[in-house]
Amino acid sequence: MSNPDTFQTAPSRQTLSEVLPPKRSRVWAKLKKNPAALLGGGIVAFFCLVAVLAPVLPIPGPAVTDFMAVRKPPSAAHWFGTDEIGRDVLSRMIWGAQASLMAGVVSVTIALAIGVPLGVAAGYARGWTDAAISRVTEALLAAPFLILAIAMAAFLGPSLTNAMIAIGISAVPIFIRLARAQTMQVLTEDYVEGAQAIGLTHRDIITRYILPNIVPPLLVQATLTIATAIIAEASLSFLGLGQQPPSPSWGSMLNTAKQFLEQAPWLAMWPGIGIFLVVLGFNLLGDGLRDALDPRDN
Amino acid sequence: MTEAPLLDVAGLSIRIDGTARDLVSDLSFTLNKGETLCIVGESGCGKSLTALALMGLLATPPLRVTGGTARFRGDDLLTLPPAQMRKLRGDRIGMIFQEPMTSLNPALKIGDQIAEAVRRHTELSEADARAHALEMLRRVRIPAPETRLDVYPHNLSGGMRQRVMIAIALANTPDLVLADEPTTALDVTIQAQVLELMRNLQRDTGTAMILITHDLGVVAEMADHVAVMYAGQMVETGPVAAIFDDPQHPYTIGLMSSMPGLDGGSDRLVTIPGVVPPARDMPGGCRFAARCPFADAQCAQVPPTTSAAGNTSHRVACWKAPLEQQEDAA
Repeated sequence: MSNPDTFQTAPSRQTLSEVLPPKRSRVWAKLKKNPAALLGGGIVAFFCLVAVLAPVLPIPGPAVTDFMAVRKPPSAAHWFGTDEIGRDVLSRMIWGAQASLMAGVVSVTIALAIGVPLGVAAGYARGWTDAAISRVTEALLAAPFLILAIAMAAFLGPSLTNAMIAIGISAVPIFIRLARAQTMQVLTEDYVEGAQAIGLTHRDIITRYILPNIVPPLLVQATLTIATAIIAEASLSFLGLGQQPPSPSWGSMLNTAKQFLEQAPWLAMWPGIGIFLVVLGFNLLGDGLRDALDPRDN
Repeated sequence: MTEAPLLDVAGLSIRIDGTARDLVSDLSFTLNKGETLCIVGESGCGKSLTALALMGLLATPPLRVTGGTARFRGDDLLTLPPAQMRKLRGDRIGMIFQEPMTSLNPALKIGDQIAEAVRRHTELSEADARAHALEMLRRVRIPAPETRLDVYPHNLSGGMRQRVMIAIALANTPDLVLADEPTTALDVTIQAQVLELMRNLQRDTGTAMILITHDLGVVAEMADHVAVMYAGQMVETGPVAAIFDDPQHPYTIGLMSSMPGLDGGSDRLVTIPGVVPPARDMPGGCRFAARCPFADAQCAQVPPTTSAAGNTSHRVACWKAPLEQQEDAA
């Protein structure tokens, strides 16, 4: 009943790939159909582009003062107006975007670099390793994220680098928990048993079977945490614990602006809009990624 | 038959920590080089646990081997240290799982998954391992193997994935393959193809196989020897012809008669009344007694001993065996 020859003339590669498109392109196709995710991605891409291009854009330097134009409202010469010592607000917004985005990305990278190995170790080894790591995680989670970041930034001393470290460490527990839970879930999969059945070592199983399969949820969480980290950086800079003057940051711009709310409301408006848009962009993108990577729909 | 068996399992018992009754109880069988042993029984009778115990993959705790030995090429698989067990697994012992859809790593290309099994146990270079993976795909008759090396599992159908699983299990020409219901998840035509493939590969490589199944059609097609399990115990074992022609244990007889035949005149399928007793509530005597049409007071009280049936290696654990005498007497 089973003639091998009939099997060899089974579906060609082309017809098979029509039935089952590669997973990557399926994710992309779903993302493309989600307007909110595209909008979020567009916003994020726009701010990244502007931040990267800051040095070559035809704008005055962010620290260049013009005493003939102090606290001027938006005009043809200064599209976003000028601040209390005559610096161009558009320029400071653009350079500030660099600080905000870098703070978001770097701090989340720190959180991933520390949190994922610890989380995977806890989820894989169980036992006392898990108990130790989980208790520390819970202790860190007991303190609110921003309070923890403020305390750590104050302890490390005010600078953008220290703010990024403080925010990154404060976000570590989020990734420990997620990586641990995801690792435990992947461990129940049949293919892990398959990996054991071919005699792979723990290291091979972790690097080739567990890590690649927990990337999607980590990616989503990282995107959403970037938004949180950007708010945290703005908050720290607002409190004087982040970016130090004269370097621009949206948070410190807001701090200065609060003294001139009545006379120069645009000073507060632009950084507020900037933070709002970037955080919105990352959140929309993260939600879109979560939907696109959701295995239940694939 | 004079040479020592490839695998000699004696008295294997498995239980859950903290319980008193064995899930697998005093299981013994031998397997010679190149032969196929089919372990048959209904769901939950301990077939898969037996395979996992032999692989050293039993989820301990809570499951634990509480007794017995499993001699394989001079080593006891049940007591070998984990590191040595890892060296045997995938090299001398391969395993094929029931669920081809979930048993391959979705994040790795299939060529890499086969090559991984090869490189773990040999000194082959990456390129040689890849060439070997290609050869394995060819041997399991996957069409266009060159292009299939670089696809991910989700691009393949269930039957194709099971072929890849077989390729992985056989990649290092193991002495023994454990196949845990390898065709149960496949549809019937694909089942036949996969079984034929396994039989051909087995003939080519001289690999012995333990095939776990509840499908007597598969047994008839594949087995040299059969072991029938019920509620964690082996109730009957013997050459496939003896089991099919002259089943001795009432449970085996029940299994045989519940197989629909072409010549049967009945409209209804025959069933064995009752259910398998739960593990926490095993009867003290014969575990099949409550469902057995021949059972008497002795059956319910005293566990049966194993006796030879006929002059082959056919053995049965039943007080009433051989049954012909019973029926004659009745």
